[in-house]
Amino acid sequence: MSAGLDALKHVVVLMMENRSFDHMLGVLHAEDPRINGLTGNESNPDTTNEPVQVQPTAAFQGELDPDPDHHFPAVNKQLFFGTPGPPGVPSMQGFVQSYADQEHNVAHSHKIMYYFAAGKLPVLHALARNYAVFNGWFASIPGPTVCNRAFAHYGTSFGQASLNIFYVLEPYKSIYERMLAAGHTAKLYYFDPASSTQEVVNLLKNQPQIFATYPQFLEDCKSGNLPDYSFVEPNYSDHPGDDGGELLASDQHPDHDVQAGEVFIASIYNAIRQNPDLWKSTALLVTYDEHGGIYDHVPPPACTPDGFHAPLTDTGGIPFAFDRLGVRVPSILISPWIAKATVVPGPEDPVNGRAFEHASIPATITQHFIGAYDQRTVREKAAPTFLDLLTDTMRPEEDCPSFDFD
Amino acid sequence: MAQPPVIRVPRPARSSYQPHRPLSKNTLLQNQVKHFRELERRLPPGHQTGLDFDSITTEGQAAEYIRRMTTRLHQPPGKA
Repeated sequence: MSAGLDALKHVVVLMMENRSFDHMLGVLHAEDPRINGLTGNESNPDTTNEPVQVQPTAAFQGELDPDPDHHFPAVNKQLFFGTPGPPGVPSMQGFVQSYADQEHNVAHSHKIMYYFAAGKLPVLHALARNYAVFNGWFASIPGPTVCNRAFAHYGTSFGQASLNIFYVLEPYKSIYERMLAAGHTAKLYYFDPASSTQEVVNLLKNQPQIFATYPQFLEDCKSGNLPDYSFVEPNYSDHPGDDGGELLASDQHPDHDVQAGEVFIASIYNAIRQNPDLWKSTALLVTYDEHGGIYDHVPPPACTPDGFHAPLTDTGGIPFAFDRLGVRVPSILISPWIAKATVVPGPEDPVNGRAFEHASIPATITQHFIGAYDQRTVREKAAPTFLDLLTDTMRPEEDCPSFDFD
Repeated sequence: MAQPPVIRVPRPARSSYQPHRPLSKNTLLQNQVKHFRELERRLPPGHQTGLDFDSITTEGQAAEYIRRMTTRLHQPPGKA
């Protein structure tokens, strides 16, 4: 066991919304070729069959309106356009045409290929440059939010591949229940009651004791009372605060302001970073639930099925046995025990690459805090874990950045 | 002693705040409201909001409904 792993007492997961790896981090390939981002030559055909190249012109807001379709049938088109479809290799050629399906506006559909230029995302890019960025972290399902977030909580979505309500099936327990039963502490921090959680039915109704709010997260970081495992949800809506102030959605879901999400990510990082005892004993994972219909160039790989089959009504009639992953999303693991500028290989490295997904979250938490635990899906058992990235060397204070707000 | 590098984080524009944004533009929020609605149907009458769901048409209205439901679900039993 590394010294970093030996020192680890807390894991915090922050899951943002609906942005692809290339959209957010693709530009970093130009400064570090190990990062599997964009060369600038990637393209998709539009509905006139003209190639549309990626462009570093993504805007914080007002660009991806309407919300790009990311339900299963649309994602299937994004992945397999021009091919016979699954189980073949995804072409990643259908993003522009899929977006064009929504408004039949050829010029507007090109925006799905836009990505953020260097300097536009100072928080996410700084974290990627300073800690560990995953070249191969994929959404668990080629579909929307709720089923993907379920994999982070349960290691399965219980057969769900849509935004519909799902219900927990025995014998599987949430990672929070597992932790509490094993004598550990765990909390799911949602932003506030008006934003609440995306895991409405199973967690909110049956397990209210595991919930707290973002202000409580900040207080728990300050007082040193952070649980062993924390999952943080951003603010999902623009709404007034209790004091009448304006609370911006911080989830980065289109068409919410991406800069508000940057501020939120930085505030989570700072809250941990500013407590020295917490900083040296905590690993923070920043990830995204799914790609939101936005272009990425890496074909998602196959994965171990979880034993369920999606209803054909969710998939547009396409059989789906949860045996392949969704589109790649940005993921960064942060700790002073991680070597600066670590790049975790993905499918581009056939020897050392690993394909992480959201089932990697309960798999990692279970492995570290609980140990042997059999009552989980074979999918979760097969998911790679990520705490091996913690090293024997703790980086000095002056080597780890902090954020300050304008 | 050397200080850690400090990275400046810009604040979003004030105009970003759009609570009147149509709910129809955000399928995630639409579905969150639907989930709470399904949950509300299972609550005793005294715990239900009695809200007309067709009146929820904006992001801000959705947030207010979700706030009311979340608050109710986290109340101890017997306190409607």
